Order: sequence, then structure tokens, then C-alpha cells
Amino acid sequence: MEHHTGSPAKFKFEDRFLFIIVPLFVLLGILDIWGFHYHHLHPTGALAYMCAFLYSMPMIAFIVVLGLYLAEETDDFMRALWVQSILWGIGATLAIANFCGASARFGLDPHLGISSIQFVFLLVMIFTMVVIKLRYR
Amino acid sequence: MECKTNNPAAKRFTYRFLVMMLLYAVFSVLSTCGLLLWHPAGVLIWLLAVLPALPIGVAVVFTGLYMNEEKDDFQRAVLVQALLGGIGTTLVVTTVWGFLENYAHFRRLDILMLWPLYLVFVVISYGMVKARYR
Repeated sequence: MEHHTGSPAKFKFEDRFLFIIVPLFVLLGILDIWGFHYHHLHPTGALAYMCAFLYSMPMIAFIVVLGLYLAEETDDFMRALWVQSILWGIGATLAIANFCGASARFGLDPHLGISSIQFVFLLVMIFTMVVIKLRYR
Repeated sequence: MECKTNNPAAKRFTYRFLVMMLLYAVFSVLSTCGLLLWHPAGVLIWLLAVLPALPIGVAVVFTGLYMNEEKDDFQRAVLVQALLGGIGTTLVVTTVWGFLENYAHFRRLDILMLWPLYLVFVVISYGMVKARYR
């Protein structure tokens, strides 16, 4: 049976994730569907920059929350686990981006937009986290 | 002025990383020349596309190896903070740029620029973290 233990830093991380990042994602999801898909808005100038900044808010928040967690976590093992996952996330994302960039140059199919990078990173990081946790079980 | 380190793990890492960057440059040129001069087809196209990505993957593996080999916890913490700062800034910049591309018809950013962009941000972040602890 799974045991649920965690450091105060982990609880804080979960709280921050749940009460800051998740609402931001939901809010931006609603804004995206309502504004850009339903009303077909095309912001220009300062408004476009503001929207772009708004869209990057969940990622900024995630990086800040993750940084705070790594600074607060006293369990070296847990910290090492996160660091390994982040490292694999960076590595795989950069390798995939490079491959897709080169493929696009050769006229091949796997096209990856620059805004998809954050999702690739998060997916690989979560996948690596699960694999590493299974390895140490 | 930057002090030179006697740390064997750091020396090994620097050497390995520089070799990988050199390979990245060579493979990138080879890959581009391959496209322009030979007009390849089939499997060769895929191989040429994979080629520049290989040193990047290996460089990241070497970073992981350095983290395992490094005995100085402080040095490790500095590198981790720099990497986190680098990836954070890269993700934020690409997200903002992606949105501006999609909705404000901003100039398209080539995805191949991701690695140089990330390296620049890691170096800036590393300098900032080191300056903080000076």
C-alpha cells in the first residue's frame, strides 16, 4: 500500500501548486476558449504583450514554486529526485526541439511550435519523476 | 577575475562539455551542408536531423554525471540554481514568444535557437548566483 509521508516543504509545494498554479491554468483556459476561440480576439500592441505575459504566468509561477520547494526541502533524497527529473526534462526537451527544428528544415513532418516547449518539458519531467521513483521503490 | 578550479570533477565536466559543444557545432554545420549540397532522401534525412541533437543529449548526461561526481554540495547547489534559472527563463521567453507569434504576428523564432538561448540564460543565471554568494 502507498504510504503518504511528506516534509513541510512538500506540503507547501502542494498548497502553492493547488492554490496558485491550478487556478491560473483554469483562468487562462477559460480566457483562451472565451476570448480567442469563441470571440476570435486579435490583441495588438501593448494588449498583445500583456496577454503574452498573462499566458506565461503559470509557467513563471511553476518555476518560482519549484525553486522555493528546492530551497526549502531539507530531504536531500527528494531534492536529488527533483533535480534529476528537471535535468532529464531539460535534456529531452532540448534534444526533441533540436530534432524537430532540423526536421522542419528538411521538410519533414514533426513540427513543434515554440509555445509547445513548456508542455514537452513538463511531460518529460513528470515521466522521469515517475520512472526514478519506481527505480528507488 | 575568474579563479581556476582544481576540482577534478569540475575540470572533467568542463572538458566534456566543451567537446560536446564542439561536436554540436560540427554536426550542425554537417547537417545543414548535407541538406543544401547532397539533397538527401529517406533514412539519411532522419539521420542528419538527429545528428545535432546527439551532443545535446550527451551534454545533459554529462551534467548529470558531474552532479554525481561533485563532492562539494555548494558547487552542486550553485549549478542546480543556475540550471533552474536557465530553464525557467527559457520556458518563459518561449511561452511569451509563442503567444506573440500566434496572436500578434510576431517574427517566428526558429526552434533550433532553443539550445543557444538556454545556454545563454544558464550562463547569466550562473553568474548571478555566484555573485549572490560572493
